[in-house]
Amino acid sequence: MSVVTSLGDVLPAEALSGAEGGALARVARGAEAVVRPRSPEEVVDAVRWASANGVGVLPVGTGGRTTPARGDGPFMVLAMDRLSGLEIYEPADVTLTAKAGTPLADIEATLAEHRQWLPFDPPQVSSRTLGGLVATGESGPVATAYGELRNHVLGATVVCGDGRVLRLGGRVVKNVAGFDLLRPLVGSRGRLGVVTSVCLRAFPVPAKDRVLLLRSDDFAGLEAAARAVRTAPTLPASVVLWVRPTSQGAALLVRLHGAELTVDADQATLERRAGVSFARADSELVAEVRDDATDAPVVVTLSVLPSRLFEALGAARDLLGHSSVVADAYSGTARIALAEVDTDTVRALRDTIEEMGGALAVEAPDEGPEVRAAGSRPSDAETGVSTRLQEVFDPSGVFWPCRA
Amino acid sequence: MNTPLETRIVRALNAIVGPDHVVTDPERLVVYESDGLTSYRVIPLAVVLPATTEEVAAVVKLLHGEGIPVVPRGAGTGLSGGALPSADGVVVGTARMNRILEIDSDNRIARLQPGVVNAHLTVAAKPYSLYYAPDPSSQSTCTLGGNVAENSGGPHCLKYGVTQRYVTGLTVVLPSGEVIRLGGAGRSARGALDLVGLFVGSEGCFGIATEIEVKLLPVTEGVRTLLGIFETMEAAGHAVTAIISEGLLPAAVEIVDNATIRAVEASVYAGGFPVDAGAALVIEFDGTEAGLDADADRAEACCRQAGASEVKRATEATQRAALWNGRKKAFGAMGRIAPDLLVQDATVPRTRLPEVLARITEIGERYELKVANVFHAGDGNLHPNILFDRNDPDELDRVERASKEIMCLCVEVGGTITGEHGVGVDKRGYMQLVLGEVEIEAMRAVKRIFDPSGLFNPGKVLPDPASPPVPAEASA
Ligand SMILES: Cc1cc2nc3c(=O)[nH]c(=O)nc-3n(C[C@H](O)[C@H](O)[C@H](O)COP(=O)(O)OP(=O)(O)OC[C@H]3O[C@@H](n4cnc5c(N)ncnc54)[C@H](O)[C@@H]3O)c2cc1C
Repeated sequence: MSVVTSLGDVLPAEALSGAEGGALARVARGAEAVVRPRSPEEVVDAVRWASANGVGVLPVGTGGRTTPARGDGPFMVLAMDRLSGLEIYEPADVTLTAKAGTPLADIEATLAEHRQWLPFDPPQVSSRTLGGLVATGESGPVATAYGELRNHVLGATVVCGDGRVLRLGGRVVKNVAGFDLLRPLVGSRGRLGVVTSVCLRAFPVPAKDRVLLLRSDDFAGLEAAARAVRTAPTLPASVVLWVRPTSQGAALLVRLHGAELTVDADQATLERRAGVSFARADSELVAEVRDDATDAPVVVTLSVLPSRLFEALGAARDLLGHSSVVADAYSGTARIALAEVDTDTVRALRDTIEEMGGALAVEAPDEGPEVRAAGSRPSDAETGVSTRLQEVFDPSGVFWPCRA
Repeated sequence: MNTPLETRIVRALNAIVGPDHVVTDPERLVVYESDGLTSYRVIPLAVVLPATTEEVAAVVKLLHGEGIPVVPRGAGTGLSGGALPSADGVVVGTARMNRILEIDSDNRIARLQPGVVNAHLTVAAKPYSLYYAPDPSSQSTCTLGGNVAENSGGPHCLKYGVTQRYVTGLTVVLPSGEVIRLGGAGRSARGALDLVGLFVGSEGCFGIATEIEVKLLPVTEGVRTLLGIFETMEAAGHAVTAIISEGLLPAAVEIVDNATIRAVEASVYAGGFPVDAGAALVIEFDGTEAGLDADADRAEACCRQAGASEVKRATEATQRAALWNGRKKAFGAMGRIAPDLLVQDATVPRTRLPEVLARITEIGERYELKVANVFHAGDGNLHPNILFDRNDPDELDRVERASKEIMCLCVEVGGTITGEHGVGVDKRGYMQLVLGEVEIEAMRAVKRIFDPSGLFNPGKVLPDPASPPVPAEASA
């Protein structure tokens, strides 16, 4: 069966092309075709075609943050990069609607002209697409001060597994007209549908973005300072713990946003509480840390209550050895980069973390499925509701390549 | 009159929660006949007041097995009829579930029962220098369970966001009586779909939240409150737009119009607002003390540029309270001057405020109605209050036509029909103004996941499939 030929029947030929580029090639491995629709209508056509022909659909932004297809069977990659561009941007509303394939770098540039920005800083944020950001649902550590991405997605258009098009939410900052189907969509990683357009709330750029830095030989030496900052009366923009692989030590990076006077006062408060004096760092270091521990063969993500973070990282080091770690000390999440890992070690760490009330996930594209399956699972009750929610959005199960 | 609840069922309910907590006496049932939207009134068969998750589960399971509709209820301050009873159903109230189970100050989270009053949580968190951010104007009475169900907002949600941003975990009794736990702080790495987010705002249609976990925030060091006086609502609206586009991030920007000012000044709540002012803006900044004056200066300049005749500033708690009074007591004051009050809740993009306010005034005049505006201006969340007398059928008809026109207008400029009060029974007939049949059908399907038999808070949120949609006629 040639999927590409059959697709040519429903999509104009120019919409089709082979996989190009590293990230896309990686997720397209084993795919029957890569489809790059130029309009929401073509997305609908492609999904309908896939649904009618028993072909799975793996929607991707740039492919950079997509997990390769999980399971067997023919599937196509739906690359959203051509569905790009701003739809509505009224700077004074401080909201913005754009097509899902729009690179965040473009959106950031447009917003910057009006001294606005999107307060999300997950790894490689600028090279993501808007739809990809929403699908992964990752906010990054500045959620400390600004709230999570899921709270700022005001609306989205989504193509369901049977080609239905749902227009959810709107473009106002408060909206409770009907059940909130947008929330589970954010972070659904393609499991529910293909997002074709998104409306987000933006924010004014703070007058100052100050980066404070505290170094230590070992991450344990930063625990007291991290706790002092995390429980301070002033809320920083983010509190990030960075652990280098071997003897390069560890660092705490604290970002303060606000007027110059405000950040001066906040810095003084934090230094007084923590009993330390911070060095200053620049935005380049912030970006380096933000993007560290992502591009590894194995990335373990763990979450615990913030008060247990250092204990969790200690347990991880005991089991996994020294490795790069980037942790959000305010929310209690961390990612750990590894060259390889065995299933038993992951299970042992998972059990320890779960005993602390936390959870663990593993991304290891080149390892077998049992490594990934060793991560924490939602409860049976949650899985039951989620499965039925998937059935509402995707009755015939076209989006199986996205599912665990 | 409905056939009363069978004695056998009453006995079974008594056995679960104790006879003192099952209300069947018609005189006592009247208390539960409506929520804050008093134009809808229905007497339920009974009201049951459980104290624990287990009791809620047993009650709900029993009623489910008997095929009896269940309506959850918090404090009954809702403004869309969400807690309106079913005549053949039982109300399950959370009044006795008012315990704060834990305040974990180190992790800044609280776990509590759903009947905890919003303001009580902030009081309990105060010794830890923490507070709960969403602050509906009804916060001294409304419950966290109601807030979760409505995804409530409040004046300070401009900067801090609405309820949804703060709810991290829920224990829910499903319509079948099954108990499930959703989410939970520290457990994000499980990669589950955001079911907590789905439940927040479900208006009592997906089950009863019996335990709620929320995030707390540190109490801010300083606050500045400004009161700007304007000749017209439009001018005040321009000031709001200017403040937002100036890049300022106030904690709150609230507006009151002349009708509201007059009502407040004529009441016991009089706060010294000039009665001939067209509009007043309450603007608040909070955060680190240093820097607040600079923000307040910039906001004051925006007000003056938009034509404010006067801008007052307060730092001290008592002065601040005086400036807020006109805003906070507005509903109470209006209750004095008209027998009935219909609170609209549409939201518009913030740049459209001046234009929309002018058109609402025009609509009010055309229908010869008293409309008083008091609302969350910074969020574009309007509350035109229509004052009327329900016993005047002609006036009632004009109220309905005017309120529909206002909703159509807000949708037409890119807004929505409800920003925080929910759809309930009140706006279910208007859902087609903002949603198509596919979206409504998807919502019905999601409702069926939780409530396959359709007996849980029936007749709320989704339009009645049997009645034709309201035609979205263009507003004049
Ligand atoms: C003067 C006044 C000012 C107000 N100001 C604001 C405001 O600023 N912002 C705002 O958003 N709202 C405001 N409201 C509306 C109202 O207070 C909120 O909607 C509030 O959240 C309702 O809480 P409640 O406990 O009274 O709930 P109820 O009115 O009892 O119930 C509301 C809905 O929640 C459901 N419910 C209740 N408890 C549970 C539970 N445990 N589990 C599941 N479902 C449940 C009910 O079935 C119903 O659908 C105001 C109301 C008044 C009267």
